[in-house]
Amino acid sequence: MPQEAAEVTAPSGATVAPASATELFIAFTGLALQSFGGALAFIERMVVQKKRWLSRSEFLGLFAIGQVLPGPSGIAFCVLLGDRYFGLRGAAAALAGFTLVPAVVVISIASLFLHYQHLPQVQGALNGMGAASAGLVIMTAARMAAGLRGERVAIAVAGLSFAAVALAHVPVSAVVLGLGVASVAWAWRQVGAA
Amino acid sequence: MTAAATLGWDELRALFLHFLSLSVFATGGALGLASDMHRYVVDQHGLLTHAQFVNSIALAQAAPGPNLLFVTVMGWQIAGLKGALATTLGLAAPALVFPFAVSRLGRLRQFKRLLAALQRGLGPVAIGLMAATCWLLVGNAPGAWLGAAMIATAVLLLATTRVPPVAVILGAGALGALLPW
Repeated sequence: MPQEAAEVTAPSGATVAPASATELFIAFTGLALQSFGGALAFIERMVVQKKRWLSRSEFLGLFAIGQVLPGPSGIAFCVLLGDRYFGLRGAAAALAGFTLVPAVVVISIASLFLHYQHLPQVQGALNGMGAASAGLVIMTAARMAAGLRGERVAIAVAGLSFAAVALAHVPVSAVVLGLGVASVAWAWRQVGAA
Repeated sequence: MTAAATLGWDELRALFLHFLSLSVFATGGALGLASDMHRYVVDQHGLLTHAQFVNSIALAQAAPGPNLLFVTVMGWQIAGLKGALATTLGLAAPALVFPFAVSRLGRLRQFKRLLAALQRGLGPVAIGLMAATCWLLVGNAPGAWLGAAMIATAVLLLATTRVPPVAVILGAGALGALLPW
């Protein structure tokens, strides 16, 4: 049993590189098609536990970089991981895997719904799904906000960002360049002092 | 896809550029950008109604795949395949330049400190943006009180039980089909 032998000889946490850009593409396609309502948990399971491309701490580090770089974090992570092994080709393969087939699936489902949206039942179903998905977004926001407990400055930044975008209709770009930069400058000093 | 399906190249380019410029400032997930997208797509240019906008988010969350594909559904509703490409590529394109930026940044002596500061500094902004998206979705909930009641029920279910999110969405869809809105 070569697999068992590998598990015995490899220290826990040992990682292996993906064999090819094609493997990245296929793995990310499979991953995306299994992930309902947010892909983060699914990404970690595949990359760290199943494929062992990254150790858990490597994963967290790379994901953190993806989060702070411009662009949605999921996309940024695919690009960073793919690039790590196969350069731009790997980045494109992972990103295409993450989005291409799922986009076709979601468009097919959407077209079906939208084709029949004149029916009151379909409109009602869309209303219901919209309400539930708003609930999902609220839960995501609440989970993120739970990490703010006790952090007064961070709470103020979050509150001001919310007020600026939701109430004063300030563009996100201005909020990130203003509040975001100030907040990072504050954090920079905090991190240095620690 | 009604009158908007006849979107010209200029409008498509403007749509692409808007999503591109939004993506550059994304901190955290794509859903945090929903308020800005809504202002452009619904309020300023009337490319979608609010209901169509919300449908995009709901359908993307109900279907398998990353949530950020709601921009694909949005583009699809605006101008079919061309629209879907405009919004999706706009959102994804900035990420393709990162590898070069990161390999350079990685050589900085204080890279770890910078990363920690960026994470700690931008995290609260991302939370504020997500809260703004919640505000947008709750404030315009469909029905006089039915929508609000269903949102509250969904939150309650997700917070107190282990029902998978997709089951909550599909259940709400089935229930919504039967209710008089």
